[in-house]
Formats: sequence, C-alpha cells, structure tokens
Amino acid sequence: MAKWGMVIDLDKCTGCQACTTACSMENNTLPGETWQDVLYYNAGENPSGQMKWLPRPCMQCENPSCVHVCPTRATYKDPDAGGIVFVDWNKCIGCKYCMIACPYGVRFYADEKPLIEPDIRDVFPGENGQLWSPPYQNPEEDWRRGIGIQPAGVVSKCTFCYHKVRHAPEGVADLDEDNPEVKEYVPACVRTCAPKARYFGDLDNPESQVNQLIGDKHGVRLKDHTGNKPQVYYLGAGAGIPAFTPADRENDA
Amino acid sequence: MKLFQTMINRRRFLQSSAAVGASAGAVAGFSGLPGLMPAREARAQTPRGETTITKNVCAQCPARCGIDVYTTDGRVHAIYGTSDNPISNGKLCPKGHLGSYFLYDPDRFKGPMKRTNPKKGRDEDPGFVPISWEEALDTVAERLNDLRRREESHRFAMFYGRGWGSSDAGIQYPFGELYGTPNAAIGHSSMCADGSKKAKLATDGNNSYSSYDYRNVNYLLIMGASFLEAFRPYNNVMQMWGHMRTKTPKTGVTTVDVRMSPTMAASDRALYIKPGTDGAFALAVAHVILTEGLWDREFVGDFTTPGRQFVAARRISPATFEEKWVHGLADWWNEELKDRTPEWAEAVTGIKADDIRRTGMEFGSTRPAVALFERGATGHSNGTYNGMAIHSLNALVGSLFAEGGIGYQVGPSYGPLPVKVEDYQDDYARDGAWKQQPRLDMKGTDRWPMVSNMMQECATNHLNADPYTLDTAMFYYTNPIWSAPNPQVWEEALKNVFIIDTSPFPGETAMYADIVLPDCTYLERTQDVPSYPFEGWPMAELRTPAVEPIHDTKMYGDVVIELGKRIEGPMGDYYRELGNLDNYIRHLAAGFADDPGDNGVDGFDSWKEKGVWYKKPYQWRQIRGEFYEWDGQRYGRQMSEEEVKEHLFKTPSGKFEVRSGFLEQHADYIEREMGIPRDRAGLVQWVEPIYTGGDGDLHFVTPKTPLHAEGRGANIPQQMMVHQPIVGGRGTVYLEVNPQTARERGIGNGDRVRIISDIGSIEAECRFVASHRPDTLVLPFEFGHWAQGRWAKGRGPGNSSEITANKSDPISGLASYYTGKVRLERA
Repeated sequence: MAKWGMVIDLDKCTGCQACTTACSMENNTLPGETWQDVLYYNAGENPSGQMKWLPRPCMQCENPSCVHVCPTRATYKDPDAGGIVFVDWNKCIGCKYCMIACPYGVRFYADEKPLIEPDIRDVFPGENGQLWSPPYQNPEEDWRRGIGIQPAGVVSKCTFCYHKVRHAPEGVADLDEDNPEVKEYVPACVRTCAPKARYFGDLDNPESQVNQLIGDKHGVRLKDHTGNKPQVYYLGAGAGIPAFTPADRENDA
Repeated sequence: MKLFQTMINRRRFLQSSAAVGASAGAVAGFSGLPGLMPAREARAQTPRGETTITKNVCAQCPARCGIDVYTTDGRVHAIYGTSDNPISNGKLCPKGHLGSYFLYDPDRFKGPMKRTNPKKGRDEDPGFVPISWEEALDTVAERLNDLRRREESHRFAMFYGRGWGSSDAGIQYPFGELYGTPNAAIGHSSMCADGSKKAKLATDGNNSYSSYDYRNVNYLLIMGASFLEAFRPYNNVMQMWGHMRTKTPKTGVTTVDVRMSPTMAASDRALYIKPGTDGAFALAVAHVILTEGLWDREFVGDFTTPGRQFVAARRISPATFEEKWVHGLADWWNEELKDRTPEWAEAVTGIKADDIRRTGMEFGSTRPAVALFERGATGHSNGTYNGMAIHSLNALVGSLFAEGGIGYQVGPSYGPLPVKVEDYQDDYARDGAWKQQPRLDMKGTDRWPMVSNMMQECATNHLNADPYTLDTAMFYYTNPIWSAPNPQVWEEALKNVFIIDTSPFPGETAMYADIVLPDCTYLERTQDVPSYPFEGWPMAELRTPAVEPIHDTKMYGDVVIELGKRIEGPMGDYYRELGNLDNYIRHLAAGFADDPGDNGVDGFDSWKEKGVWYKKPYQWRQIRGEFYEWDGQRYGRQMSEEEVKEHLFKTPSGKFEVRSGFLEQHADYIEREMGIPRDRAGLVQWVEPIYTGGDGDLHFVTPKTPLHAEGRGANIPQQMMVHQPIVGGRGTVYLEVNPQTARERGIGNGDRVRIISDIGSIEAECRFVASHRPDTLVLPFEFGHWAQGRWAKGRGPGNSSEITANKSDPISGLASYYTGKVRLERA
C-alpha cells in the first residue's frame, strides 16, 4: 500500500488560495471551516518589507498527536489508506482534545456560533443527520473517514481527498493531475494548483516524483522537533520559516 | 437535566482517557462541551448517483477559463479547469471553484418582477412583485415603441459591463441600429482598463490589450498590474509564473507598485513608487537602455557612423540615426529622454536612482524582456502617457511580435448571421431624428474625441440634460450606481429613469429597477465566448448549461431577441428571423466548417463537446528586426512594410511610434485639456499627474484582490472568510496603513478610522502593514455593498468609490480610480 505524501514548493506558490476554495467546494465545508488554508506573514518595513505565505493542509503525520489523545479512537491513522489520518464521525464525541493536541491547527469544530452571519446552516438546514445540507453536495459520503458533510458535534479535517485518492490504480507512484488517467484521483488542492506548486505521490516509492523533489530540493517538514513526522513536505527558500509564531500585536499586522 | 447528562458523559470520558495524560489535563479546564453527543446510527460509505461533466467557461473575471462542471442527480457540486482547454489547462484560480455557490445563491432573483414602490433610494424597498415574462417583455417593448413613436428613441440606453461575445454584448449593437439609438450599447471599458488600450493604440496602432509569450520570456518588468492577483488571464498567468520561475534560465522579475502585494513579495526586486509616476520611472529606464547602448539595433535602428552614442543631456543629430521600426526616436531623445536620468526620476518617483539603473541594465541586457502594466500606471490623469512610456520599453528591446514577447489577439472564424441589419431598417432607423444625437456619454465628440466609452459621465450628463436626459435604461453585467467613481451622483440620477436590470443577483442597480429581467447564471447558459487577449492565436469557447435554469430566468441574449421581436416595423422581422440564441450561436459555429480547429472542432456539436475552438500558432513573428508570416511549417514568408502596417503596426507611419501620429491628430485637444504644447503632443513624455480629492495628504489606492477581481463574490460567505492577504481574512476587510502614518494621527492597530476626500467619507478598520509606503493607504476595491444579498449588504468597510472623484484621463477616458488623495482620522 502506498504512503501518500504531499510536496508544496513555496518558490512557486503565489498565495492565491485556489487550494483553499477547491477544498471548500470539494468537501462542502462551512465558511471558515478551511481544512486547507493559507497563512500570511508580514515582516520588515518599507521599502524593504516582506510578505510570506504558507499553505496549510493536514500534515497526515506518521506519528499523529491527535490520534494519541483521542479518547474514543474516533481519530485514527489508516495504514491501509495511504497513512491518512481520519476522523470516524460515528465515534467522535466532539471533545476537541485532538484540536489542542495538533501542532498545526488543522482540525475544525463547526458546530458552534457561525464565523460569519447570517448563519448559512439556517439557510440550508441539515437533513438526514447532517449539520447542514447545501444543494451543492459532493455525492461521496463516508462517515467512517470523515468524508461528506458532518453530523452535529464532531471534529472535521482534511482527508487528502481520500474519496478521490482511493480510486488510484494500485502501485501508482504519483497522482499527477497532468496525467489524464489519474487526474480524477488527485486531491482537489493539488489538482487545481495553477503554478503547480503541489505534488502528490507515494512516499514509500523511491521512484516517485515527490521523493525526487524532496531529495533534490531538500524538502523540510514543519515543526519536525515535535516528532510528528508529517507526510507533507515543503520546498523553497521560504520553507524553513518558523510557522505559527504568535503575532506581535504592537508591530505586526 | 441536559447539563447533568453532559457532565456525566464528560466525567466518564475523562476517566476512560486517563492514559492520555498531560494533554488531556490541559483541556479539562475548558467550559461547556456542547459537542458531546449520544451515539448515532453508524454511517458508512454511500456514493450517490451518476455524475455528468459539461463544458463551460468561468464568468467571474474576463479570463475565460474553460471549466468542467460536475453534476450529479441534477445538482452541480464541483468545478475544475478543463484539461484540454488552452487557458485553464485543468487549473483554476481561487474564484473558479465557487461557481456552484453563484448558481445556488439563496438571494438570486427567482423570476421577472416589477416595482410597486415608485420611490427610489438606498433605503426604499422596491416592493417587487412577480410577473410573467410576457408581461415583463411587453411592458418594456411598449415603452420602447412609445419612445420611438415620439422620435425620442435616443433616450433609451443599454449599458453593459462584462460582455462575453456575439451572443450577448454583440447582439446589442444591431438593436441600436434597428431601433434608433446611439446608446446601444455603452460599455464599461472607461471604468475598466482603457488606459492600456489607448497607450498601445497611440504607439503601435492596436486599440487592444496585448497577448504575451510568457513561456519564452526571460525578464519581466511589471508595473501597477497586480500580476499575481488580478492580471488577466489570472489562472494562466499563475501557471506561467510556476513555469517562468523554475525554467532555465529563470525569468527575472522586477515589480514596481505603490503597495506591498503578492506580486511584490514574490518578485526578485520590489520597488515602491509614488502613485501616478510610473511614466517617469519608465522614461528613466529607457534613458539607461539608450545611454548604456543596450537597445535592440535590429529592431530600433542605429547610428549611421560607428562610435556614436547617447549621452545624457546631449542632443543627437537626427540625420546620424537611422530608424528601423521605431518612428521618432531621435526626436524622443532630443526633446524628452536625454534629461530623464535616473537621478531625475528618483526625485519624481521616490525610487532610488541606483535601483532604476540596475533595472534598466537588466531589462536592456536580458532578451526577451517584456514590460507590462495595467491600471496602477494608467488610472491617473497622465495614464496614457505613463502607459506609452512603459510600452516603449518593449520597442527598445525588440519584444514586439518576437518570441518571448508581446502581440495582439486575433478573432475567431465565426460564420455570418442569416440576417443583415440594413435589410431590416425602416426610414426612421436609417435617417430618423436620433441620427442627429450624440451618444449620451459624448464619446467621439469634441468633449471626448479619443475614447471608446465614457459610461462614468452618463449620470452627470443626464442630470444636466446635456446632451439630453435618459428615459429608459437597461443594464447588463454592470452596476455603476455602486461601482462608478462618485456613485452618489448615479443614485440621484437614476431616480427618474425607467430602469431595467438583468442581473441574476439583487445588486444596487436592481434596487432602482422598475422591471427585473433576471439572467441565468453562467452555469445555466448557452453562450459564445471568444478569447480575451491571451497568446494571440484565435480561440472561441462555448458555454453549455450544466443544468436547466433552476429559476424562471432567461438569458440576456434571448431577452434582447424577444424585445426586438416586439418592436414595431421591420425590426421585429429581423429578430423573428434570428429566432433565438441557440439558432444564433449555431450560425456562428457554422464558420468552423471551413476552418476546423486544432482539436477537430468543425461545427456546433463538436464545439459543445470540446467547449473550445482554437488554431495555433500565432500568424506573425518578428525575428531580428524582420517580420515573417507562418507558412504552415515555419515563420518562412517575409512580410512587406505594407503588410506589417496592415496587420501589426497599425499606426500612420506603419512603425512603433514614440512620436505618436494618433495623438498628433488630436494635438489641439491635448493642448487645451492637458496644457501640453501642441507640437509636443505626440511625444512619449512625462506629464505631472493631477491628483483628486482636495487637500488630502495621503494617497488612496484601491487594488483588486485574487478572490474578488471583478467583485462578483460579494455574497459568498465561503469567499469572505478567506479573503486575503490584503483584506485580512476571517470576514473583515481592512484599510492597510503604515504604522508610522497611523501613530502620527493617534490611530492604533485595529482602530476604526475615517477616510475623507472632498466628495465624502467612509469608515474602515485599520490594520498596520509596515511594508506599505507611509504616504499611501490601501483599501481593496469592490467592498461596501448596500445591496447584493444578505451576506454582502451592509458589511464594512465603506465603498472606496464613494470617496473617489469622477475624473478621467482626457486621452483614454479611463476613470482615475487610483489617483485620489485623502485624509485619515480616528472614527
């Protein structure tokens, strides 16, 4: 079985957030329930200031702290599904321990005050056990893996679009959207990335393009000191940036 | 009891998870656990229904990305770029994915309606009541027939914004010729980017945006274009960015802009310029290219005697320089460029002379190099001259029509329509009183002799009854009552005009409408979409509906046809002959039979299946100062000077003109309106910008953002929540201010502020961004709706247009959106 990994080249990324909106469309997430988002940082002063950005999906850690803390074993890492970390919505009790344990801030609990008013959940009220039921729903649903629209009271997260990835042919090294044979199996954020800053493939296959890129361009993982060992690697001059440092309210934006 | 139950559950679960240890302990203190849920019925994998994919074209900006629309059980749920579409190549920008949210916007108009409240204003409820399409169309047609009987048909105007092709924007023009109004149709281009088109018209004779060969360019100089935010075609531009920045050799990028932006951040060199002074920077770069001897001799020409050179402040003898494809170079140097040193430009622009010199050296010594610009450089009183100065850099390095350079878009091989306008014009249409009337916007008169449109003038002209007042106006894809500079005037002007709005969405114009004839959203339309300037070779796409209209809506093209059928006289026969939009588009597609596309598209059915017809390559190329035409195998047939003039340099001289024949034809006007001596009017030159806004001490710039380039996503909460970077994200749109500027005014990070110009004031929340120029405030364009739907309406910040004066570049007519000065204070 493949171990799915993602490579994000920050030298090519333009910070446009198509990854974020593609994810929100594909997975029917609520406003602000951004399983994939982009963080921006400003530093320095005119005329030599700088702005950096960091796209942030779930890192699908090899050693995921979220899994360790889950009291009901709702969140789990599935070696038979490429090592993706899932939330089983049948088991999740919404305690949010996993959200606190996650060093990357990529888990969501959407069953509270809406982040933007009016509440879109009132516009498209939930049916059939769903938290909300918009007309534009992906036909795929698998609550054991947190795919589809969640019920009330559970944590949700990026699944590497497993509902697509699971159809990938056995033994394929890379899911490259430019290959028409596999484009439908590529995660939404990777498939749409216009500057092709994202790659998706098998980290266990030394022949894969993702491993080649990690090797050639010295891929790094975020917060490696936590021992979480992400399956997402970053490339580029900005890839070593200390992500998630608290904002300096006095001087920063 | 529920609380008790919850606590029991919580305790039980904490006990059971004792092994979790420290991290669990850390969360034990938080209060309220609304999420603890009783067990539910377990649910597993349940895919539903058959998915179909239809070809369409995104409509959220002009780029025309081919899209695959995924529909299951009659519901659209996903949109991706079409893999074999030359623009999208399977990719999309952040806006593209949100198309299904437009389709299912709960605030859409559900069908035709009429107004019952005669009073119009921001706070007036229109009191819309549903009516049938028959009644709606008959009402409008009766009004138009009545105007025509009274010989006042010129008082009917059609205004349009984002037109797509023959079947919507194109269909309006015959309507005017048959009905009898000069005002069908008034486009939005003067509130868009006409400065770029006119700068090119004045220099190389093409009244058009350019096409670019990014695949082969090695150096980009980007000026005021928001290249990685809003430059068209944005999606393809980003694809090319990924290519340019990783190819060998890597494409070097210098960006000149007035603010920090993703483009500035991602460039090799970011230079912060004082708003309105881009022309001065470009002239100094030209000065460096010439004095350093870096110009392209094969394209530009050369001194006839060896050893001669351009030396600052020293004239050359025109006789010693033999011009090739650049007309007027010696004059340009002698009368303008010789004194435009980097040191001179530093004083004007605020950019260090060393940086200007380095940029000039790089630009002049890296081939191919392209200088591109947009309304950051042209949205000022001196915009056309600024644009001309920047575009002249392309001539100096020989990039025009070269590999890795810049060209112009060719149109598609459409078939003819089955009807001719002249066969259906009655005497009134041919020669009626309306023929004596100018357009309402005074385009083509002595007031605006060179413009394409002047929509922003129409409200004032109506109020002044100069040239006349409007009676009835129909709006398509445009909303000037909110988006025009100083829209307060439109709010007043449209109060006594009969308004027909055709938007699917409840925008500000619709709030003034007497009749609403709602269009379908783009996922429900059949519509031809010829390419916007892209790579030059011809291309035309087709929208195919993914679903039948989900509400009682009608495509705008069909609305025009149906209105046409109801007009008295032979005009009605013209539209009965056309039939409907579908028939109309089939006639266009018939042209492909004789000229099949590279992908085999040769008629309507194959066009619908593939979604696009195109023919590569670009027909012409300049190679080392000679022009060649594609002969089927290679650029093998050399072109004559006459052919170059006919197809490429459509100027009086048939060359690239740094002394513009076009502007010289209007020298009296330019002297009168801009104070430029008439014998200098044609020169590419520095002209001081005239800032608007009164006594403001800060520049005010209002950029477009990646998620909101044409402001179409205003009522999509998913979009609002991720609006970044310069708008803050999380639903709040900020005014960005350099901290020093704010502190001097006692303003802290996050404070509410008031931005004031001489025509009004708006409020916003302030955010510190130290990268911005201390003299420049940044607030994104197209926010601050007072209608448009439940999420858009009444959400801050204020609408930037309300403090933007209605002043335009006298040459291009482009509204000077980026030239305002304002004051800032704590609210």
